[in-house]
Amino acid sequence: MIDVAHVHKSYGDIRAVRDVSFTVSPGAVTGLLGPNGAGKTTIMKVLTGYHFPSEGSVTVAGVDVVSDPLEAKRRIGYLPENAPLYPELTVGEYLDFIAEARGFAGARKRARIAETLERTGLSGEVSRRIDEISKGYRQRVGLAQAIIHEPDVLILDEPTAGLDPNQIVEIRSVIAELGRAKTVILSTHIMQEVEAVCGRVLIMNRGAIVAEGSTDDIAARLKGDDVYRVVLRTRSAPAAETIPGVRRADTISIEGDLTELRVALPRAPHSSEAIFDWSVARGHKVLLLERDRANLERVFRELTSGDGEGR
Amino acid sequence: MGAIIKKELRSYYSSPVAYIATIFFLVFSSTWFFYLQRFFAQGIASLRGYFGVMPLIYVILVPAITMRIWAEERKMGTAEVLRTLPYTEVQLVVGKYVAAMILLTATIVLTVIVPISVAPFGDFDHGKTAANYIGLLLLGSAAVGIGVFVSVLSRNQISAFILTALILLFFTLVSQIPASLDLSPRAAAIINYFSLDHHFQGFVTGVLDSRDVLFYLLVTALGLYGASRSLLFRKWR
Repeated sequence: MIDVAHVHKSYGDIRAVRDVSFTVSPGAVTGLLGPNGAGKTTIMKVLTGYHFPSEGSVTVAGVDVVSDPLEAKRRIGYLPENAPLYPELTVGEYLDFIAEARGFAGARKRARIAETLERTGLSGEVSRRIDEISKGYRQRVGLAQAIIHEPDVLILDEPTAGLDPNQIVEIRSVIAELGRAKTVILSTHIMQEVEAVCGRVLIMNRGAIVAEGSTDDIAARLKGDDVYRVVLRTRSAPAAETIPGVRRADTISIEGDLTELRVALPRAPHSSEAIFDWSVARGHKVLLLERDRANLERVFRELTSGDGEGR
Repeated sequence: MGAIIKKELRSYYSSPVAYIATIFFLVFSSTWFFYLQRFFAQGIASLRGYFGVMPLIYVILVPAITMRIWAEERKMGTAEVLRTLPYTEVQLVVGKYVAAMILLTATIVLTVIVPISVAPFGDFDHGKTAANYIGLLLLGSAAVGIGVFVSVLSRNQISAFILTALILLFFTLVSQIPASLDLSPRAAAIINYFSLDHHFQGFVTGVLDSRDVLFYLLVTALGLYGASRSLLFRKWR
């Protein structure tokens, strides 16, 4: 569980992050998506306590990272951007160091190292020096370092950056598996990455969170659909999937005879007419029909055009 | 903290730095003593010339050991992993200091070859030699303390090396000012107090003075304190 409340972070005169709040729960990998320079890495550094927030609070697994950094660090596994490692050590020596630093010794240490090597597919590389192995293996060593102590919370900064497509698939499957039991947040600037591994997504731009939601919902919006928030007064449950041409329809809430829906339609001028006509034909009274957060589109364009990495 | 010390020593001995520093130290100090100081021609059973030059050799040796200690972690980005391991800043700084001291001590221990090899040629004062080694370790500790602090503040190894060397050179040679100028005794005493070399001269003559010991320990503590505070401060920036 990660709880971020009203976090600001400035580096000198530069405001890297402004008033960011969100929570991350275990059970689904959360993606922090945004163009380069959006403040993703700053958030990662603040979550791990590597940097302290200028304002606001960060709680990780119930521990405040500023007032009890030692305990917070025990509960966190962190893979920084580019997986920095000691090139002069072997994979085995490096993980031995991390395991000891994490308080393992003797047979238990050896067991943890062996299990982690197995899990990250590194068993064959133990005695190779880190400066001799490929970028993909180095990324795995970084991941191994982050998970060796089975942390409650995993923070991964661009875990697949610079990998080839096969390596990306492998790393993603490891992350997805970890995400089933742990609280996992990863940052990326690639939408496909989010779709492949994340159940939830936070979108950042210029130091602020501009959207959050389920990956399916955000993906629908990213694909250029028109997304509407609809509130209907109706006695029967509205079957929104019968709206002509509908791409997605989610029931957000039902309170008495009020039903709130989120409906995605293919982009078209006046696409909301279809929802209105459907409601009238069905006898639902339309209390509200509005476009969802139009200012996202600019961010989406930046995200989808961008530098095209990984596509 | 054992894990950090072990890792540091592994890093030292898997790169050429440790070997080069050790060889440089042994070759230079021996050359100085036997060749330039003409030990055998002097006809005096004294190691004073050998140990007297050590503070100057430290000006190069210690920065070579400490330059990478933090600057390299920062440059490679590994500081980010290191500092998100469950250690306090003080533990990290002290762990690295201890590793550097182990390396320095190992280097110094190798120099006992010199006193042992000249022992048959005269009636050496072994107590004095022991005092010299204690002084070398304490001086080394103070210099490493300074080096660790500078390395925390530096962005790369080269600037850490140069800055540490300059600081050590200054505080080693500053005792030459009162020696060559006609200053008041008080001014001379003040300047001498800050000289790394001045405090070492007592050990060279075989005198263990608690004030000298205290000075070196104080410099060590200040260096390590400064280093850990700087690390902590960087989190807030």
